[in-house]
Amino acid sequence: MGIVLRLFLIVCFSHQMEARPISYSGGSTIMTMSDNMKDSFYYHYSPTFKYSIGIEAIKDKLFDKDYSYVRFTYLVNRKNTRMSQRNLYFQSGVSLEDKDNHFFGLHGDWETRKLFAGFGYKESFNKFQDYTEKFFQTGFAPYVGEYGDLHTWIMLKSKHNSIKGDWNTYPVLKFFKGNFLIELGYDKQTNWDIHLMYRF
Amino acid sequence: MNRLSILGVFLIGSVAWADHGHNKAMEMEAHSHEGHLHETLVDGKQLEVDAERFDNFIKGLSDTQVAIVSVNGMVCDFCARGIEKTFAKDALVKKIDVDLNRGKVLIAYSDEIVIDFEDIKKKIIANGQNATDLQILSI
Repeated sequence: MGIVLRLFLIVCFSHQMEARPISYSGGSTIMTMSDNMKDSFYYHYSPTFKYSIGIEAIKDKLFDKDYSYVRFTYLVNRKNTRMSQRNLYFQSGVSLEDKDNHFFGLHGDWETRKLFAGFGYKESFNKFQDYTEKFFQTGFAPYVGEYGDLHTWIMLKSKHNSIKGDWNTYPVLKFFKGNFLIELGYDKQTNWDIHLMYRF
Repeated sequence: MNRLSILGVFLIGSVAWADHGHNKAMEMEAHSHEGHLHETLVDGKQLEVDAERFDNFIKGLSDTQVAIVSVNGMVCDFCARGIEKTFAKDALVKKIDVDLNRGKVLIAYSDEIVIDFEDIKKKIIANGQNATDLQILSI
């Protein structure tokens, strides 16, 4: 039973919002995420557009435990063109409570005003079982909004966890307006995935 | 099924909201000073600015220079937020606007100063994008 519960917990962890993990220079970002397994609150600050540092507090509803990560994200490469932007990020985190609990990985994306494609690879280590996670995400904007409009993305996300073993694909809707973003995903195994983000 | 319906309602609602904005924009375009800014400048370059957007931008401004900056990598609203915030902090800047469709940033300065493209480039790079061109209009 413990393994099954841990498995669900790990699946939940892979739902962390990856959109724009670094803000503009001097920008701060607050993200919250909630589902039937956990609540997460993540704050990060970007001294420059090249990296961000942050802290993520996690409330594990299943085991009734609280823990946190110190997180660091670095922009390895960015290519700007008139119509697109491509990014490659390095991400890492270490638990404040237990240094053996840490992760690192890569996250890449390519975006135009109408199309989006992204991927992620993450290796996590802890006392129980090391594991890897991968995801691919692609989507399109059903309309092209002006600056300040409500922007909408329809996406499909496919992810894999080395413990679970199989790929899981589900739809995601993303809306943002101004400094506020909401992302809704639904998967029959993990139910609702709800993310909120505010940048300031 | 109910959950999928809720997702559908969110989607349809957002598209309807956006369509409302677009229709409004199209109406306004019909009454704008068409072609107003699609002229060849002294340097031979074509100015690519939305006339209606520009007209709205300069409303109430006088003795002003407008810097029209071409920016690479400004593909989303979120990407441009930092640009607006950075220039809004600059005391020399009267007003700023972003034209995502054309990849332009419009910045209004007093006509008494010399616009420094290098400074503009630095501010935009600090946001993670690249300024590639600058055109200046006096109004």
